[in-house]
Amino acid sequence: MAKITFVQPDGRRQTVEAETGKSVMQVALAHGIDGILAECGGAMMCATCHCYVDDDRTGTASEGEEDMLDCAEAEVRPTSRLTCQIKVSEALDGLVVHLPEADE
Amino acid sequence: MLDLPVNEAVTLADLTRDPYPIYKRMRAETPVVRVAQTNRIFVTRAEHTKWIKETPEIFSSDDPMTPMKPAFQAHTLMRKDGDEHRAERMAMQPSFSPKVIRTDWGELYTKLAEDYVSRLPRGETVDLFKDLCGPIAARILAHMLGLEEASDEEMQRWSQRLIDGAGNFGEDPELFRLSDEANAEMNALFERVIPRHTEQPNNSAFSVMLNGRNPIPMSQMYANIKIAIGGGINEPRDALATIVYGLLTNPDQLDEVKRQDVWLDAFEEGVRWVAPIQVSGRRTTQEVQIGDHLIGPGETVMTIQASANRDEAIYGADGEEYNVFRDKHPHQAFGSGPHHCAGAQVARRTLGQIMLPLLFDRFPNMTLADPARVIWSGFGFRGPLNLPVTLN
Ligand code: HEM
Ligand code: HEM
Ligand code: FES
Repeated sequence: MAKITFVQPDGRRQTVEAETGKSVMQVALAHGIDGILAECGGAMMCATCHCYVDDDRTGTASEGEEDMLDCAEAEVRPTSRLTCQIKVSEALDGLVVHLPEADE
Repeated sequence: MLDLPVNEAVTLADLTRDPYPIYKRMRAETPVVRVAQTNRIFVTRAEHTKWIKETPEIFSSDDPMTPMKPAFQAHTLMRKDGDEHRAERMAMQPSFSPKVIRTDWGELYTKLAEDYVSRLPRGETVDLFKDLCGPIAARILAHMLGLEEASDEEMQRWSQRLIDGAGNFGEDPELFRLSDEANAEMNALFERVIPRHTEQPNNSAFSVMLNGRNPIPMSQMYANIKIAIGGGINEPRDALATIVYGLLTNPDQLDEVKRQDVWLDAFEEGVRWVAPIQVSGRRTTQEVQIGDHLIGPGETVMTIQASANRDEAIYGADGEEYNVFRDKHPHQAFGSGPHHCAGAQVARRTLGQIMLPLLFDRFPNMTLADPARVIWSGFGFRGPLNLPVTLN
């Protein structure tokens, strides 16, 4: 298990216990975190699981992830990640994930 | 483990007329069942259909026997898996991204929609399906693909012939002759517009593919564009007609949608209620358990999103109704997994944010005099075949 904190654009924070081996996207869905739709179910084909993660422990986005991020709805920043591509491990305990501004 | 039940009674004609009572019963009694007449396994519960689409290693899109191959004169991305699929899909995806929709297509579509809506005669009864839904879907797609030179009529004809060919499981040579003819016309147009796109690149799919860093082979560019022509016209057309029907037959909901300005919700509920693409097929690569049943390798499994979208486990008892204001739950009208619809954002924005508000703003007292005259049809693709409304 690892603790992950989701921060909404309005500053609202939710900290949840994340099961190791799941993706951050799956954890968000399981806890009903607003702003993560994950329409393609983690196939890296929709970019509706986009978040900002400023934490070296998560590694960097693959080339395929970078390409898909270009199709994200909200602003893409250097910290942009697809949460379906980040796997939860004990090492990520305390991870902070910022959700992007919703459309309009 | 239980034996796979076989349904000998259901026919394609029944499913084409009205599949929903059949699916409702299947969900309750035989959620995994072989339908003898099609020799395919129907899977009707939401949890199963979603899992199947998200497990491409076991449920492959690759079907070497698909009539899509002769119809498109190519093996298209829709029927590929893994890296090869991703490469072809990502070559085109930037054209359909929210950014490009905002910068390029949003304004254009608004202009086109205003233009097409303003041509409709006030005070008269027209077939909205024929006079608006089809042509506007064709026009925006022509622009998005980089084929402005094609007429609405050509786009719609090509689309229909590709679809008829792709569904030609009976291998009727006439249908393949018609799709061959359409392929020849499309190829000729593609060749004509290549110089324009290499000299003046824009954000259209053809331009983006031609000018990509590592361009995919030309034959696959052609195939991709054809897939988008086949898949990008009928679905928005059918979705628009379905949503307008849903709103006009539920005037209290229409009033509330206007008041709260929630046209996107009206859109999502419309495609949930009657998914324009009702069914997607997958082929098993190994023995696998679905529900209580063991399925062998090489079987064709039909995941029925039309049914998943009305599953009682998610929507309770009133999933059969159009209700914009129901509790929100994700639906599967755009599929899921690697083949999740490439045009989902395009469809939401063009229909939900632009077309619906515009249409009801221009004709606030539009009426559907006789809903019983609307004919619904389709097993693979479903929607109204006509929509006689009076414009006011
Ligand atoms: C928006 C994109 C599309 C989706 C979602 C889609 C979905 C599917 C899937 C997955 C199948 C599998 C059926 C099987 O394996 O037996 C299928 C078959 C079929 N495809 Fe595609 N397809 C799309 C685009 C097209 C296009 C571009 C065409 C034709 C040009 C087409 C026409 C058909 C038809 C009519 C069938 C027959 C359904 C059946 O199997 O009974 N589809 N479609
Ligand atoms: C309301 C409108 C639409 C609906 C309901 C819809 C639905 C779908 C579905 C269910 C699939 C998945 C098929 C499968 O799992 O085998 C799909 C795939 C696809 N759709 Fe759509 N679609 C719509 C509009 C569009 C538009 C406007 C475009 C083009 C701009 C488009 C392009 C595609 C393409 C290219 C694929 C194939 C993706 C792949 O195989 O990777 N669709 N669509
Ligand atoms: S869930 Fe679709 S890209 Fe992550």
